[in-house]
Amino acid sequence: MAGSFLPAPPAHEPPAPARMSVAAKISTAASGRLVATALSWCVALFLIAPIVVAAAGAFSSSEFYGHRSEGSAPPGSLGLFWYVFSVWGRSLGTSAALVAVVVPFALLIGAPAAYAFRRRPFSGSKLLEAASMTPLSMPGIALAVSLLATLGGAPRFTLLAGGHLAYTIPLVIRAVGNALESFEPDIEPAARSLGAGPWQVARWITIPVLLPSLVVSALLVFTVSWGEFNASFLLASPLAQSFPAALYVTYTANSFPVAAAATILFLLPVVPALVLIQAIGGEPFRRGLQA
Amino acid sequence: MRSEAAAVRKEAPHGGGRSLREPDATPARAAEEATGWSGALLCLPLALTLALVVYWPLSHLFSTLFTRAGSEALWQVLSAGRYRTSLLNSLLLSVAAAALSLLLSLIPAWVLARERFRGQGLLRGLISLPLTFSGVLVGFLAVVMLGRAGAVPSLLRFLTGRELLAGSAYTLGGLFTAYLYFEVPRAVMTLEPSFRRIPGELDAAARSLGAVPLSRFGRVFLPIAAPALRATFALAFSASLGSFGVALMLARRFTVAPLEVYTQLTGFSNDSVAGALCLVLAASSFLADRLLSGGRA
Repeated sequence: MAGSFLPAPPAHEPPAPARMSVAAKISTAASGRLVATALSWCVALFLIAPIVVAAAGAFSSSEFYGHRSEGSAPPGSLGLFWYVFSVWGRSLGTSAALVAVVVPFALLIGAPAAYAFRRRPFSGSKLLEAASMTPLSMPGIALAVSLLATLGGAPRFTLLAGGHLAYTIPLVIRAVGNALESFEPDIEPAARSLGAGPWQVARWITIPVLLPSLVVSALLVFTVSWGEFNASFLLASPLAQSFPAALYVTYTANSFPVAAAATILFLLPVVPALVLIQAIGGEPFRRGLQA
Repeated sequence: MRSEAAAVRKEAPHGGGRSLREPDATPARAAEEATGWSGALLCLPLALTLALVVYWPLSHLFSTLFTRAGSEALWQVLSAGRYRTSLLNSLLLSVAAAALSLLLSLIPAWVLARERFRGQGLLRGLISLPLTFSGVLVGFLAVVMLGRAGAVPSLLRFLTGRELLAGSAYTLGGLFTAYLYFEVPRAVMTLEPSFRRIPGELDAAARSLGAVPLSRFGRVFLPIAAPALRATFALAFSASLGSFGVALMLARRFTVAPLEVYTQLTGFSNDSVAGALCLVLAASSFLADRLLSGGRA
């Protein structure tokens, strides 16, 4: 018999799901999805609850926590914010100036390089691309220590900007590079063959197509530079201190409501930036962060 | 003549419509010949910046190894009690935190990548919010929640009438929780796009062949997702290995390596030991990245 040449049938029957009714199958799948979604919301709760508690603290009365060591804001008012402004206004200004320098430089350095890596590869471009990603896995304090050892004589603001550039340029290269990968490579040669010069191609094709990814990179660089602490704390001097470094001082020296008010001031520009990033181009943003 | 045309075609990065071009289009031809140079020119600012702010300083750090003080410091760091303990604490804590955050991120990343439901954008936004928080901020949030008068101990006292978890932010468990707090958003945002690229047909095919969920997970999902999982682990590992702000806020009865660098540098002006610790940290991060992400840029 032909059947004897076939392998013996498996000892076990195929598992139970095969015999389950269609309705039961659908309901298991649906409840599984429901549980997964609920678990995801739990993770979100773990991440958000501390921010809500801290934010509520900024509007509470500091007398509740003992002496009013600073300011005398009536509870529920914005007084604590003015107090933080008056004490830490300088470092807020430093952080704002830092961001104003780092964002354009990171874009001007990173975006052309990303374009070259994808469209004009040359010998050694792969190596350079890998080398530009290395800072992402470099401990901030190690970079800060070595920057101080070599360029310690430079103005501290310059050092801070340099450290921030090391950590933000790779983000630009990734976001712009990913956008270039998903954009038809033949369009630019087509425009060239129709007589457009290199500047016209850049002006009318490349830059408009890359605009969303450039905006997302700018916002990403902004949030990272605004929040960078690991390298900045050691690089900062009393006169050039970024706001996260000042945050550390409020956390150790001020009462909880003041620290909470400073935290909210820190978050104030970050939240709209992240919302914009999600709205404009969630995908390049998430892929930009990918290792 | 023919060979010249062939050479031009070979040089053209996107061969396609080039052959249709008229032979007297000299400006385009010149631009084409300059391709290699123009690419290098566009990368020049990047190369200079990297050399100045990353590679010169790091190679200086590396070169201290070959001085007498540097090599002695490295030996001291790898053998003596306090420094080695800080390194081991950092390594173990980072491995454990990276592993658990990877595990915690699997389901949210999958749900964000594969499901469609109301409030998905909100969920993604909430999970990505702590992505760029500085370490001190995460440390502060840990104190707010788990400090001696934190929200969680207060709530537990209200519910049970007993002192539970008060001050746990300052323990190893508190530091570990804080590490999870900043690693989970990173891991979710890194995994989500990779999960989206896994073709759904494979899972459906395995299901139609009668595979139970566990074997579909082990035999279909894991092999496909393995590179993304490894890369995410490496990312989370180096993020916590370098995390200095969190430890600055929370580490009281123990020490981790970045904090030890800071203490040695500012407290004892012990530059060579700080440099040696930095070197070990940088080397571990770099190795984890190379080995696990396979040098994928």
